[in-house]
Amino acid sequence: MSDAIILARELSKWYGKVIGLNSFNIEIGKGITGIVGPNGSGKSTFFKLMIGSIKPNVGELVVMGHRPWRDPSYLREVGFCPDYDFLPSDTTGRDYLRFSGGMQGMEGAKLSTRVDELLKLVGMTRDADRNIGGYSKGMKQRIKIAGSLVHDPPMLLLDEPFSGTDPMVRRDLMDLVKSLHHEHGHDVIISSHVLHDVERLTNSVGLIYRGRAVATGEISEIRGLMSKYPHRIIIEGKGLMELAKQLIDRPYTVSLHLAPDRSSMTAEVSMPEDFFNEMPDLVQRSGSELTQMRSLDDDLESVFKYLAGD
Amino acid sequence: MNVDVNIIGVRTMLWSFTRKLLLNKRWIVVLLIAAFLAAVMGYAATLSDDGLYEGSDLMSSLMLTFLLPIMALIYGGSMLRNDMDDRSITTVISSPLDRRVTYLGYYLSLVIALTVMLLIVLFAGWLAFFLIDGMNGEAVGLLLSYSVLLAIGAFVYSSLFLAMGVLIRQPIYLGLIYAFVWEGFIGSVPGAIGDYTIMRQIKVLGAEIVSEGPITGLEGDVMISAAVLVIVTVALFVLGAFAFRDKEMP
Repeated sequence: MSDAIILARELSKWYGKVIGLNSFNIEIGKGITGIVGPNGSGKSTFFKLMIGSIKPNVGELVVMGHRPWRDPSYLREVGFCPDYDFLPSDTTGRDYLRFSGGMQGMEGAKLSTRVDELLKLVGMTRDADRNIGGYSKGMKQRIKIAGSLVHDPPMLLLDEPFSGTDPMVRRDLMDLVKSLHHEHGHDVIISSHVLHDVERLTNSVGLIYRGRAVATGEISEIRGLMSKYPHRIIIEGKGLMELAKQLIDRPYTVSLHLAPDRSSMTAEVSMPEDFFNEMPDLVQRSGSELTQMRSLDDDLESVFKYLAGD
Repeated sequence: MNVDVNIIGVRTMLWSFTRKLLLNKRWIVVLLIAAFLAAVMGYAATLSDDGLYEGSDLMSSLMLTFLLPIMALIYGGSMLRNDMDDRSITTVISSPLDRRVTYLGYYLSLVIALTVMLLIVLFAGWLAFFLIDGMNGEAVGLLLSYSVLLAIGAFVYSSLFLAMGVLIRQPIYLGLIYAFVWEGFIGSVPGAIGDYTIMRQIKVLGAEIVSEGPITGLEGDVMISAAVLVIVTVALFVLGAFAFRDKEMP
């Protein structure tokens, strides 16, 4: 990808014996890109490397044409919103934004106008002069995002901006992120451990697991990739032996395990969509009576394990 | 390097961090110290035979020898370290300013806040003593002389303890050992070994500018002491600034 704004090649970072990133490769272009992975997968390590707060042990990272470690000049073009709480509790939201602007070389009337604009954009005008210590989680997230926008950077790095927020705040923040790209033209790199959240913002994702990029591209491609890997489905009910006979001939069936009492069965299937589509017919033909059917692989962790080949 | 951005950034840090240091909860401790010093010096004044000599002696031992390094340690050792530990440093390190420039912002904020607090405590003690003993022009001269020495000391000790805060995870413990054992004990030992303390060099300057008290009897070359203090301050600042630049903040 020639227009990559972020390029990582064999990037590794470890903290003592703990690996943060391990031979991580990714190219990120313009637009909104989601970095998705379970907690502890290395997302925050990648973000910290991108702003140069930590140094890579091995490999190469280029952000907007700069190698971040020891070169903060490019941070004029980057807004960073970390996943942790770093806001000073004894400062007002407005003062924090003024401080952020000052650190970006802004001052005077220009800064005051910008702060007012941002407070309006994130819906915090009314609470701007209260101490941050009294803010809710959602309000803090809004101020953090506003702080990353103060210098109007072309690129935003938002690390888990929806973490710990309630559904209403989450929806508002998602709308805000969408508008930052669609209306204000910012490129956004956003991390989350919830694939669904990222899917609502963008089609372009990178999946990260145990410090490695296990898949990158369009969400539809990744969903296709995911469906190549076997999913385990638990089926409970009566007449499962007959159902097993029907299933064993299907092209998507990888394995079947019947419980000794024949009351449940675990089916391992490679194309879950086909499996679920055909299931009503198969049940009817076999005369089985199902009481429950559930996938063991609904959690993201399992999907990542598949993709990582664990 | 964009000079304007750096100047505005450092100015922003100065305004924000000086205010933070002066207005945080430790301000109460500073007031208590000032009240305690005023009580001690006020009481000493009631027993004093030679006001100027004893007033100077008290300001030298209480302010210069004791409070200057201790307050510099408390504020300097914890300043950057606290910001790193509670991660409020994020806004600073994600700005386009070179880390060494931001270190200057921290350093100057510390020097200003420390000097202000030391001068307030000094003034409280001085006022209590000379209101009882008798205020005159020489007493005002003493106040000004010790104010200058404390400001010089704030520059030197800030560079030491701020750097210590970057280099060491628990700077207070090592700082206390340094302040009490090296500066306090070794610094008071007669002979050449005391020359290797910052305090001795400051007091040699004091011998030149203070008009009364035991400090005037200290022997030493003023120019050499001044040069030593400048070199130590700059060297420690540079050490701290480069250590801060290379510090990973996970």
